[in-house]
Amino acid sequence: MGRKPKKNDSLPGSLDMLILRTLSLRDLHGYGIVQFIQQSSGNELLVEEGSLYPALQRLELNGWIEGEWGVTSNNRRARIYKITPAGRNQLAVETQKYARLTLAIAHVMGAE
Amino acid sequence: MWRRLRYWMESERRGESLREEMELHLAEKAEELEADGMPAERARAEARRRFGNAGLKQEESREVWVTRFLSEFVQDFRYGVRTLIANKGFSALAVLSLALGIGANTTIYSFMESILLRSLPVGDPGSLVVLNWQSPPPQNANKEWVHVMHGLQGRGWPIEKGMMMSGMFPYGAFEMFREENPVFSTVFGYFDGLNRNLVVRGHARSASTEFVTGGYFRGLGVTPAAGRFVDFEDDRPGAPPVAVLSFAVSQERFGEAANAIGESVLVDNVAFTVIGVTPPGFFGVDPAAVPDVYLPMRANVLLDGETAASRYPDGNFYWIEMMGRLRPGVTMAQAQAALAPRFHEWVAATATTEAERARLPALRLNPGAAGLGGLRRQYAKPLYVLLLMVGLILAIACANIANLMLGRAAARRREMAVRLSLGAGRFRVVRQLLTESVVLASMGGALGVLFAVWGVRALTLLFSRGREEFTLHAELNWYVLGATAGLSVLCGVFFGLVPALQSTRPDVMSALKNGRGGGSRHRAQNILVVAQIAMSFLILAAAGLFVQTLNNLHSVQLGYARDNILLFTVNARRAGHRDSELTTFYESLRKRLEAVPGVRSATHSQSSITNAGFTGQAIRGPMQIDGVTIEDARVLGTGPRFQTTMQIPVLAGREIDERDESGSRPVAVISERLARKYFARENPVGRRITLPEENRELEIVGVSANLRYGSPKNEESPMTVLVAVSQFPSDRVTYALRTTGDPLQYAGDVREIVREADASIPVTNVATQAAEIDRTINREITFAKLCTGFAILALLTACVGLYGTMSYSVTRQFSEIGIRMALGAPRGAVVWMVLRRVLLLAAAGLAISVPVALGAFKFVQSFLFGTRPNDPATLALAGAVLLSAAIVAGYVPARRASRIDPLVALRHE
Repeated sequence: MGRKPKKNDSLPGSLDMLILRTLSLRDLHGYGIVQFIQQSSGNELLVEEGSLYPALQRLELNGWIEGEWGVTSNNRRARIYKITPAGRNQLAVETQKYARLTLAIAHVMGAE
Repeated sequence: MWRRLRYWMESERRGESLREEMELHLAEKAEELEADGMPAERARAEARRRFGNAGLKQEESREVWVTRFLSEFVQDFRYGVRTLIANKGFSALAVLSLALGIGANTTIYSFMESILLRSLPVGDPGSLVVLNWQSPPPQNANKEWVHVMHGLQGRGWPIEKGMMMSGMFPYGAFEMFREENPVFSTVFGYFDGLNRNLVVRGHARSASTEFVTGGYFRGLGVTPAAGRFVDFEDDRPGAPPVAVLSFAVSQERFGEAANAIGESVLVDNVAFTVIGVTPPGFFGVDPAAVPDVYLPMRANVLLDGETAASRYPDGNFYWIEMMGRLRPGVTMAQAQAALAPRFHEWVAATATTEAERARLPALRLNPGAAGLGGLRRQYAKPLYVLLLMVGLILAIACANIANLMLGRAAARRREMAVRLSLGAGRFRVVRQLLTESVVLASMGGALGVLFAVWGVRALTLLFSRGREEFTLHAELNWYVLGATAGLSVLCGVFFGLVPALQSTRPDVMSALKNGRGGGSRHRAQNILVVAQIAMSFLILAAAGLFVQTLNNLHSVQLGYARDNILLFTVNARRAGHRDSELTTFYESLRKRLEAVPGVRSATHSQSSITNAGFTGQAIRGPMQIDGVTIEDARVLGTGPRFQTTMQIPVLAGREIDERDESGSRPVAVISERLARKYFARENPVGRRITLPEENRELEIVGVSANLRYGSPKNEESPMTVLVAVSQFPSDRVTYALRTTGDPLQYAGDVREIVREADASIPVTNVATQAAEIDRTINREITFAKLCTGFAILALLTACVGLYGTMSYSVTRQFSEIGIRMALGAPRGAVVWMVLRRVLLLAAAGLAISVPVALGAFKFVQSFLFGTRPNDPATLALAGAVLLSAAIVAGYVPARRASRIDPLVALRHE
């Protein structure tokens, strides 16, 4: 059923986690999320901008974030997303999973 | 889930807001880039480039809230309907031809389902087994009867290798099977009681009866609509006479089933108490019959007296039919193995001579879920032939649509190429095209169901023509609808797939460049057209053979009048008239009928001429002339003025008239053929026929022209002897009135006159002579009519296909033709150029199908009369019709080609 977007992030599903993490700090609109991730990663993580919107839809459908029309810092009408309590739980779960995964990878890489 | 659904409902609005969100994103990105010093124009382009395929991303986002398949399906569906509406002509043609094809298939399938496949409406039909036997033919090489079966009441039918099969058994065999049966939980018997005179509350009607043993209803596992069923205690000698009515009769006569219980009814003047009513839809065990009254088996002694009583102990008279119900876990093969030796032992004991022992019947069990097989034996083959024909028609229709789709796919090649180059997956585009054709097919299917509803009605009418009690009730049911639905989807995929695959072949660039189709599409179209022509020829030629058969049958010299004659039958004996009073009653009724204004003459006879032979002969035992036995002569008892009424010429002497009363000297009128054979050149009038068994003499008073008994299909005109029905009385007689104008308009008068004479006598089998004759060739009429219809349908559909192909090819060659004409080609040459292709295609089709026809038509040999399956005239005519139709279909595009203005064509390029 159609082609899945080719994600350029190395860890599958990590985009969701990054969005949730970003929104747990403050409410943002789509472009703002991209900007934030890019800047806070020191320009290491480049979000494929097109992929952002399907991800937002998916998160919203799962009830982890909520979008509402509002106004951005430079006075444009935009959909501002905020994280829900369920989203915070999910973020905790994903963070844990991520921590375990990176730890496991680190073990492998560090093994003699 | 509900959230998903809500999202889906709001998908329109959400899509809009998503688009706006993305727009904003792009704008902000562009601004950022611009701030970095990029020119505004380039910044916007760069933002877009980095974002990726916005449309696709939008789709992917949308996929999150709707399953993508669903949304795309809705899209495709909408788009499909829009394109179909935009091409009204094409769509209408496609849907119509498909609907006719599917309608015809559904109709024929409905009949097959009801005749060949449907189970009896009883409890657990799957475990019912019909008991039959088979044996070598009862007559030896010298045509002498050598068989343990000395008498048979009921049916036997030939099976392969000269063997015969029957479902009739002696009563003793039934008793043998009934006691201690290890494989059947129950065995029950029944036999057709034929039509009887039923009087309910003073109103007389003819009713079909079924005699059943006490275990019949229990064995079938049905529950009464009211009261109780015939049980074992009712089926004993001397039990009080009881009857079970069919649901229809109880409704008709008592208004409600429950009202009938306890009422008294007369069956052939014997009083029976109604104890129960069968459930609606129940028709016994034979789908070809619907009994009105069920009587306990032993009640036949009350109705038919000594003859009936003498049959119970007779081990050599075969008259009752049986069914058994397998015990759980027992297979039919096991039952066969267990019972065959028992039956063999029993039947061997009934044989009296060595010759009889040499051809003993052997037991054969058959599945009983669908009831008795009479109807199946009769209709199975015709239905398969018809199914094959409608199958071909559907194939032609499908080929047509595939063809039109191919043409259209060519026109849309550019559109497809654009879609593909914009990033649509090939699968996606094929799916969209398939959706279109399936939508088309479903519309065809829906319309086809409507056609089928009408077709089933029309065909029932056609099948039942001239039959008073036609019990075949085909209907559209879920199986049939399921089959239709499957068929339409299959058609959709079938005729959509090839064009869809072709038009999405990935050579996008060449398509974008010139937008013209390649050669393989052309070839595919040609193959389709040739196949259509080949299939149409088969149907056309078959129709030709059947029409030829019908013509031959209609032109058979019957020797008696066909038109302006009304026939009807009465049985006054059942109403209590006896002996000489019966004869007088019939004669006085004849005189009253003759007095009706507009009736030119009236007569009566033992039976109608078409039925003669089925109702037995007026004289049993041999007839002799000068001590020589007359072989193979048919004897029919007739009233006065029989020859006048039937317009059978009197060749010598006189016809039978009022002088020939019961007291006077018996007379006979012999046919010309009989006279030739036994009197050579002498005058037979005044000579004698002796009846040694009855010790009587007949005086030959006249010679009649030859006449054909029974169906026109019967080959020779037999030798006939007409005797006076007053001197050789018959229980029931058939009246014939020669009328001025439409015979049926006298039916009301006739009923009135019979009611005045005796209100308890029902008038039955009212029909015109023409209808009566047609009844005997009903299958041939049905076939000829249906096949003509099918042939026209096939021809039209194939012509549409041919026309479509040629039009397309003319369009394709538009500039080529233009150049030719500019270079001085005459119009005639252009027309010929197109027509030559038409003729080539048609000839190719014929070349394929003529040999096929010659091979396949052998299987319909048994349906033909007076013509051969390879009749050259019929085949040639079919070929000529097909060719001329092809030329007509091809001429229109050819003419258009010749009208092409070279200037326009060249500029077009």
